[in-house]
Amino acid sequence: MRAVNLIPPDQREGAGGAAGRSQGAAYAVLGLLAGVALLALLYGQAHRQLSSRRGQLASLTARTQQVQAQTGGLAAYTSFTALREERERAVAQLVDSRFDWAHSLHELGRVLPSTASIATIEGAVGSATGNLGAGAAKTTSGATPVSATPPGSVPSFTLTGCATSQAQVAVTLNRLRLIDGVSEVTLQSSSKGSAGSAGGGATGGCPPSGPAFTATLTFDSLPATSSVTASTVAATSGGSR
Amino acid sequence: MTGRDRLVLIAVVALALLGAGWIAVVSPERKQAAKLQTEVTTAASALASAESQLANAKAAHARYSAEYASIVRLGKAVPPGREVPSLVYELAQASDKKHVDLASIVYGGGATGAAGSSAAATAGVAGFTQMPFTFVFNGTYNDLYNLFKALDSTTARTASGGVDVNGRLLTIQSVKLAPLTASSAAGSKGGANEMLSGTISATAYVLPASQSLTGGASAGAPAGATAASTSSAASPPTAPALARVVP
Repeated sequence: MRAVNLIPPDQREGAGGAAGRSQGAAYAVLGLLAGVALLALLYGQAHRQLSSRRGQLASLTARTQQVQAQTGGLAAYTSFTALREERERAVAQLVDSRFDWAHSLHELGRVLPSTASIATIEGAVGSATGNLGAGAAKTTSGATPVSATPPGSVPSFTLTGCATSQAQVAVTLNRLRLIDGVSEVTLQSSSKGSAGSAGGGATGGCPPSGPAFTATLTFDSLPATSSVTASTVAATSGGSR
Repeated sequence: MTGRDRLVLIAVVALALLGAGWIAVVSPERKQAAKLQTEVTTAASALASAESQLANAKAAHARYSAEYASIVRLGKAVPPGREVPSLVYELAQASDKKHVDLASIVYGGGATGAAGSSAAATAGVAGFTQMPFTFVFNGTYNDLYNLFKALDSTTARTASGGVDVNGRLLTIQSVKLAPLTASSAAGSKGGANEMLSGTISATAYVLPASQSLTGGASAGAPAGATAASTSSAASPPTAPALARVVP
């Protein structure tokens, strides 16, 4: 026969486990208190941070205003520096945009063979559509100064001269290609004329046996002033001399 | 309701109370603290930026004298006025040094154009106004080559990337070298056979009328500098000029 426990479950020894008589309410209260304490701790931390950051913010704002006021007092100096830098940049751009005539003439003298002579040289720095002669009005507005020889302009020389023979004209053309920066050498004419008169538009004065020639040298287009940024940095530290 | 049910109910109520406390009290405070932290970060970066600007301004103040001298030197290359006499003087000096005869100067259009009132400086740019000239120099090939070098070197770039200013900035657009005629060669230096006539079309530049050389600045302080900023100079104050009269 199976034994049956007739004692009510809530009166049995050890009934309710850890809950005891309060049936766990005590633990719940303790947990609640712990939670409240945790909340209070977190709130306190947040409140302290809030106060601290308000103070920081006020301090930073005051300091920023003070610094800005000091900077404002020196604004004229920074404006002057900006003016100087802008002026120097503009001058540097104009300097960079120039064609080096002296170097080209030096190169011409270097490569010209002894069997040829030059009567006239006409050089011009012009755009693809023509020369920018003296007095060509430049009314373009922009942020950078307009040079009389703007980047992209193509310098060219037109030479007239004499050679001892047609073969020497060819030699001369080949030699002219050696000039630094020359992209193309074009012969316009080379003709022997009667004494005292040269053909093909060349200047007279060539001996009858030697042809007078006219050739055009086209140089590489003038480069854009890419070094302006670097120069500005250098100019800021060094300035013009 | 059993004891277990009551326990669960108490736990739920406790959790609900804690949750409400978190939502109503702690969370807003933390959010505000986080928001203030963002504002503090922004303010700190604003302060750093302002301090950087102040450092730049102080540096600009400290090197004002050098900047002023620099902009005055740049005025030799691109003056505020036409300054034609000084340009002619410079050209005459350069041509003398290079043994070249400065035969003529025409202001304005080409060599055959009229100079004077009709030769107006052309309005440039956001920057400089162009002044076209035509010069005629007589000399040997080498001397003319040296003259071109000299004209270029009046305003040139330095190896360090700066601008070296010794005179007026000129941009040469065209050059024509031709044998000098016998009559012209008679009065020129050098042998008549070697003499060339160089016709040069060049452009000088001047500042636009709206700009002055230094923007109203003086050697002591820029235009608009406050007395406070002037007195708070990092550099030592300028000694007063003394004028002594000796009888």
